[in-house]
Amino acid sequence: MPKTATRASRETVAATPAKTLLATSVVGSYSVPEWLERLKTDYYQRRISRAYLQEIHEVAIKAALKDQERAGVDVVSDGELRRDNDVDYLLARIPGVEIPHLAKTFYYDYYDAYVRNPLPVDDASASLNLVDDLSFTRDYTDRPVKFSITGPFSLSRRVKNEAYSDPADLVMAFAHVLNREVRALAEAGAAVLQVDEPFLAGYPEQVELAVRAINTVYEGVEGPIKAVHVCYGNRYSRPVWEGNYDFLFPAILEARIDQLVLEFARKGYDDLELFKRYPTPFLLGLGVIDVKSLSLEPPDLVASRVKRALQVLPVDRLTVNPDCGLRHVPPDVARAKLEAMSQGTALVRQDVLGHAETRD
Amino acid sequence: MYIELRTPDERLRGPKAVDAAPVLASALHAVRDTPSVDLSRLRVVCDWIQYKQNFRDAVGLRLVEPWPLEAARVSRNGGGVDTERAAWEIAIDLRRAGEGLDENLREVLSGANGSKRVALEPWGPGSRSLIWGFNALYWKALLLWEQSTGRGYEQALPGGESDARNVAAARELILELFVVWDRLAARRALPEELHVLELGVGNGNQARVWLDEFRRLDAEMGREYYRRLHYLMGDYSPHVLDLARKAVAQHGEKVSSLVLDAMRPTETLGFLRYKAFLVYISNVYDNLPTDEIARIGGHLYQVQVRAAVPRLAAEHIAAGFSGVSPEDLPDLVGRLLRLGPELLAEALADRFAKPGDAVAFWRAVWDAVRLDERYIPLEALDTYDVAPGVSGELLRPIALSAGDVRMHVSNGAAASFTDTLPLLHPLGVLQCHDLFVTDILQYTNNFRGPGKYDGSVVNWVNGPLLAAIGSRRGFDVSFQPFAHRTGANVLTMTARSRD
Repeated sequence: MPKTATRASRETVAATPAKTLLATSVVGSYSVPEWLERLKTDYYQRRISRAYLQEIHEVAIKAALKDQERAGVDVVSDGELRRDNDVDYLLARIPGVEIPHLAKTFYYDYYDAYVRNPLPVDDASASLNLVDDLSFTRDYTDRPVKFSITGPFSLSRRVKNEAYSDPADLVMAFAHVLNREVRALAEAGAAVLQVDEPFLAGYPEQVELAVRAINTVYEGVEGPIKAVHVCYGNRYSRPVWEGNYDFLFPAILEARIDQLVLEFARKGYDDLELFKRYPTPFLLGLGVIDVKSLSLEPPDLVASRVKRALQVLPVDRLTVNPDCGLRHVPPDVARAKLEAMSQGTALVRQDVLGHAETRD
Repeated sequence: MYIELRTPDERLRGPKAVDAAPVLASALHAVRDTPSVDLSRLRVVCDWIQYKQNFRDAVGLRLVEPWPLEAARVSRNGGGVDTERAAWEIAIDLRRAGEGLDENLREVLSGANGSKRVALEPWGPGSRSLIWGFNALYWKALLLWEQSTGRGYEQALPGGESDARNVAAARELILELFVVWDRLAARRALPEELHVLELGVGNGNQARVWLDEFRRLDAEMGREYYRRLHYLMGDYSPHVLDLARKAVAQHGEKVSSLVLDAMRPTETLGFLRYKAFLVYISNVYDNLPTDEIARIGGHLYQVQVRAAVPRLAAEHIAAGFSGVSPEDLPDLVGRLLRLGPELLAEALADRFAKPGDAVAFWRAVWDAVRLDERYIPLEALDTYDVAPGVSGELLRPIALSAGDVRMHVSNGAAASFTDTLPLLHPLGVLQCHDLFVTDILQYTNNFRGPGKYDGSVVNWVNGPLLAAIGSRRGFDVSFQPFAHRTGANVLTMTARSRD
């Protein structure tokens, strides 16, 4: 059994991020070294067992947590290191989703997945077992933990739908399935829950549907910060779409969420104007680290980016994060980028508060 | 003893077949008469080298260094030192093996031919050989070379012209682009500038054909895309780029030209990241540096090479220039590759009275240069870089997929491809016409280079490796026969974003 934090201390830290000024966080995924990719692929080609892979993942997650803590990140994640990719890790667990071939040439490839009959959304006993992942993470860190799941709209884009005549019905079915899981994750002590919609930018006309589904995912969830992350795609470290966040507004204002986590560092900060134009009630998770570039952002640059956002939003409405997951960034660069993010944020805290309020 | 015929079917049977039996008989006779050779560690490999100008002698001998584990095991058992455990490979070019084969084989097996060569460089991986210095010099000083040979470089291509001039091929690509742009325009997501990039522009004929057709189709379809078009031409050779600029002069403000290194396009074109809707590359990859690796007896080896000139040829070259001896060749070649023929003639006026003499020296050495080869264990693939950002680990499944095989790593092509993909718009496409191997087994039935094309080097490109690189970056990579000319070896590789 791992050395665990006490229940009391867990409850304490779970409430922390909302109180930490300019709290820093990761978006979700953390650097996957090449050797880990090779081992994951070995599993999907049946050269190592699931038990081996689980042990490998556990060691890697502990290291990822340590990296984030040493970098001074306030809200940490398991780096999504158990996941083969953002979609299949969930699809493979959802009752009613058929995946005929479970072997892969490369672990990160997407499965061909089918929904041939309506999903059994009313089966209250069905669990995706994500709580186990969260519990493991919480056992190895004292920091608040963010847990991300890919949202119903993006999941629906990766399955061949043979069950629903209206594709929106499939999106909402996924939302109902995820709602049960998100409630369980909230109960299990997630400090931040985040729904990722990486494909949404490619379908701007579908934002209203996506928001409706997100509201269903978060229905009845109390306690954690409820976040939504929308970017321009990061699969293989490439954007899937180029444009701006105009498409999100005003539909996103209907989302019953606490935080909107967005990509800015790669594309520039012009879209901050949207937060002037629309009376957004959310925290903004400000992307200050370009995850598609291996160049390191100096802390000064991070600080200037945060200060620019502070011209639009008050300090208690802002949190700080990379643009997206760090999965494709080499480990040494990922560590250095997170350190720069923390140091840059600390510079702003010092300016705002007159003293640095950091964890390390 | 192991014998391998890496030969196309049509050279072993049918009207074009050669009689390989006497060649094999000669090899067997030679080893019979050389008792010092350990037959359990001897390989005989016969290639049919289709390039009339190449880097091989008709017969050669290659050392296969023992793998460390094997050497250690032998050492623990009281065996000899590593070199005594080495294996050897006799390489025979079936096309040229006929005359003097017995004598060649005896000489090679006795080790007597080693002293009959002037080495121009130390051993190293193929991509770092000075033959690539010759290749670079050819493109840099193309005008001087063409003046000396009396023919343009395009005439040296197998068909006498590049496949890039084909109007039907251009139209197909342009119409595909129009579909993508129409879609983006409908979503008000069409950028103001529509970027198209051509790497390796040749004499500009491809660009001219493409732009003419683009303008015609745009006018016909009333899209107004020509107004927004920005066509970028990139080439390593300023001379070639000058020719290309003249060819597309009537499209003046739509075209920019840049001298760039095809292996590092983003160094020059960083501003184009995620913006290029089309990257077009024709006959570039086969002309970029490459290593070779081999799987022998289940172990991986790197093929190391050393450029050398046969002593007789070296003496002949030296005799043609006053004050030059065969021993001077390594230094003179080094200077030639650093300075180019014009500056070399300036620096060594006593030996090369005018640039034309230095070009003659260049051509003579190029004609004579050979590559000696040996196999060195390639132990940790993760420490071997295929290209910047591409670990040798990517080679593992490819190299292990076809038994014992010798294949190109196509490092230069891999570097170029890897560094070009980030330039593509999410809906962009990369299209490349070149000589591709599409199945690793193709390395076992034909010689894939290096050969000499005029003053440049040619190697077939490892398609499965590029496909793997693309796949790891989210691209589907496919290979099709060049649709607009039959009977060509050239294939069309297309890469476009997946998912």
